[in-house]
Formats: sequence, C-alpha cells, structure tokens
Amino acid sequence: MELFFQFLSNTGYYLAEYRNVIMIVVGSLFLYLGSAKHYEPLLLIPIGFGILVGNVPFFKGFGLGIYESNSVLHYLYFGVVTGLYPSIVFLGLGAMTDFSSLLARPVLMLLGAAAQMGIFFTLLGALALGFLPKEAGSIAIIGGADGPTSIFLTAKLAPHLIGPIAIAAYSYMALIPVIQPPIMRLLTSRKERLIRMPELREVSKKERVIFPAVGVLLCCFLAPASIPLLGTFFFGNFLKECGVTDRLAQTARTAIIDTATILLGLTVGASTQGDVFLTGKSVGIFLLGAVAFSIATASGIIFAKIMNLCLKEKINPLLGAAGVSAVPGSAREVHLVGQSEDPENYLLMHAMACNSSGVIGSAICAGILWSFMVGL
Amino acid sequence: MYGLHAIAVHNGWAMALAGALIVFSGLVVLSFVISQLHKVLTFFEKKTVYMEPEPETSDIEPHKDKPWLLLPKQFPEDIKEIARLYKPLVEEIGETFYLSELYEMSRKNDFPHPHITLTAFRESKILIPDGDGVFTWNPPTENDDNENVEG
Repeated sequence: MELFFQFLSNTGYYLAEYRNVIMIVVGSLFLYLGSAKHYEPLLLIPIGFGILVGNVPFFKGFGLGIYESNSVLHYLYFGVVTGLYPSIVFLGLGAMTDFSSLLARPVLMLLGAAAQMGIFFTLLGALALGFLPKEAGSIAIIGGADGPTSIFLTAKLAPHLIGPIAIAAYSYMALIPVIQPPIMRLLTSRKERLIRMPELREVSKKERVIFPAVGVLLCCFLAPASIPLLGTFFFGNFLKECGVTDRLAQTARTAIIDTATILLGLTVGASTQGDVFLTGKSVGIFLLGAVAFSIATASGIIFAKIMNLCLKEKINPLLGAAGVSAVPGSAREVHLVGQSEDPENYLLMHAMACNSSGVIGSAICAGILWSFMVGL
Repeated sequence: MYGLHAIAVHNGWAMALAGALIVFSGLVVLSFVISQLHKVLTFFEKKTVYMEPEPETSDIEPHKDKPWLLLPKQFPEDIKEIARLYKPLVEEIGETFYLSELYEMSRKNDFPHPHITLTAFRESKILIPDGDGVFTWNPPTENDDNENVEG
C-alpha cells in the first residue's frame, strides 16, 4: 500500500500546480489556433504540443525536464540555446526565397529597413520599463517579427528569456491577420490603398545568382554578428539560384528546414514550464512585443507615405506593412487588404520584395544589437 | 531603475539611434548596389558580345529564358481558348506544378496579364489545388460553361 501511495505522489496529477494548468490551456489554444483556424500551423502546432509536453509535472531529479542537464529534451534544446536551429531555418528560408521582385524594384528594400524601427523604439521602451540592456535587446528584436532571429539573439543575450520571447514572437506572427489590417486601414486613405503597382521587370538569372554573393558580403561586412543567420540565408539562396545544386536546395527547403522547425518548435514549447514562464517579466515581454510589432508595421507604412512625397511613380503605402519579416504572412495580408479595395490590384509580388528585405533587415538588427551588448 | 533615466544610464538613446542608422544605411547601400547590378551586367555582356561575336549555344535549357511559343496577334477572350494556349506550357512543366512556375513561364512567353488569367483559371477549376501550393491542370472540355476572362 505504501508503494502505491509513493507511486501516486510521483504522478503528474499529484504534482500539478495551477501554473502547469494555465500553460496547458495556452498550449491547447495554440493547437486549436493552428489546427482549426490554420494560423501558422507549421509553427503553432509544434510549439503548442511542446507546451503540453513541457508542462507535464514530474519528479525533479529524474532527468526528464528540459532544464535538467541529462534529459533528452535538454539535448534537443541545445540547438536552441546555441542558435543552431535558427541558423538551419535560415538556410532553408534562403533556399525558398525568390528575390526576383526585390531585384526588379530595389527601392522597396527601404520599406524593409523602415519597418525595423519598431525594434529600436521597443529597445527604448524595454529599458524604460526596467529591463537590463541585454534583456531589452532580446525583447526589442520581437519587432522584427522573425521567430528564428528572436530566438537566436535571445540565446546569445538573455537565454533565460527564450521561452517567453519565442512564444511572443511566434504568437504575433500567427496573429498578423488580426494585428496588421487595422493599422494598415488606420494609416492609409482609400485612395492610397487603391494605388496600383506597375508590373515588375524581368530579372535575369545572372542577377539572381550574383545577388546572394553581393548580399552576404555587404551585410556581413557591416554587421559580422549576423553571419550565423545571413551567411546561411544567402548560402541557401545561392544553392537555389546557381542552377547546379538543385538537389541540395531541394533538401534545404524541405527536409532540413522541416526537421529544424519541428525540433525548434517542440523544444521552445517545452521550455515554457509554468514555474519558469509565468512571471511578471513574461507579461511585460508580451506587452512590449505587441507594441514592437505594431510600431514596426506603422513605421513601414509611414515611411512609404514619406517616399511618395518624393517619388514620381507612387508606391502603395500598404506595402510598408510587409517590411516586417514575417514571411509570407504579412505579404499575404497586404495583398488581401489591397484586394479588398480593388480585387484587380495585385500587390503580392511587391509585398514579397518588402518581406524579404525585412528578413535581411531584422537579421542585420540582431547582429547590431548583439555587437552593442557584447561589452555590457 | 525606470523611465528616461534608465534609458540614459544604459546608453539607450545612442544604441537606438546608431542601430537605426546602421541598418538603414546598410540596406540603402544594398538597394543601390542591386539597382545598378543589371546595368553592370548589361555593360559586361555588351563588351563580351563585342569581343566574341559568336552567339552562345551552350545554355542548359535555352527556351526557358526566352519566348518559345508563338502567340496569336489577337489574344482570345474566351477562357477555353486561353487554356488551349496555356496547354503547351503545362505540358512543359509536368503534371503537377507550383503556380509560380506556370506564372514565370507565361511571363517569359509574353502572355498578357498572367496574374489575372491564372486567377480566372483557378476560379474556373481549370487549375485544381493539390495542397501544399501544388496545382494540377484540368483542361476544359467543349461542354464546359466557363465565363469569359480578359486575358
């Protein structure tokens, strides 16, 4: 009988506390949003399931939890804390990305730069709220709307915040259809939303092959700390474009990125153990993340409007919202908002140009913030 | 420590300003370089043609980068007719394909308004989604009652 009671006292039912229950509800919500509402299912489902796994209460010292040094989850989590998975995800992203629209209309790259302002405004906000500089830098990068970049920088600057920052970044990416359209409508007039973009010129194969080499050199010379992200990103793109490594590019954009995404999502989810995750800091991170994302969207749109004051051929300011690097969610949302005003207005290709420059911009920002914080 | 004092103590103003300027200038330079890329390439290509007048014949897939279909002068408005013109493209790219492949190929062959046409194909169930962004071609039969499209 004593053995039975001892067993009972080691079960999850006995060890559960309210924080585990809250996190299990959050995990279930992620699974619901991903599977039933199709909000970024490839991200929310691994993370949601990871939250369930990470919040099963267990007897400490058995080597089961993600924070216990000899557990399987801990070994898998190694790829997160070292920045390995984000780097691999960027390789796959590069092998998926078609830069033709950006090469055809390079001026749209400026919108990707403008949308990064959300990062720096949030840096100030986080410092003002009492976060330490390294923590503030990690929170600010949520404004880039790029999950892997946020995880990478947080792993380098404030590893204890990986859980809440990753969950905030991916949540806001999934909530793009909810967050961005009201900001787009608020900051643009109907006349501006109706602006049609001209058809893009055809981009030669040589341009597409040369671009990743030029891009990696220019960006990484400027911010060497972004090499782990941009190095693999442009390498993946070179594999895709050079025309002789189709097999490698195909593997990078399918099996490799899928494996990294599964392990990244599952372990980030599992890192949100109630006792570690549910703190006052997490609430602050979520609030600042929402502010960062909204400012990033707004600054892209406002900058597009400023550009229109100087440009002969006006650009649709909605494109500024795609300057955040949530690929392809924000580009799709820009296209949909444009089409809701004029069903024959096709903004998708132009929005993808802003989106891909947003990816480059946020990775550069991560490199810059990392190098600023090195000596602190 | 909170508020503006915390920002000042942690050098926040300088970090935010310098960070914003660096990322902006970096992307402006990259944008300028890629805007000149095609001009530089054109310049070198002209030079190469001048030095080696013989045309290149060793492209791996020569027809993919230039038009290889002869389109009628008066492009049809009936979607079935347009679908017939698209058929050789579909045969070229295979049974299942990404929409972007068909779009690229139609652009290279100077089909007018490929975006609008592909949307009309989807609405008319000539392009059937197979999931994961892959599509199959469902050629219209004579009995299909499809609407017209401005192609």
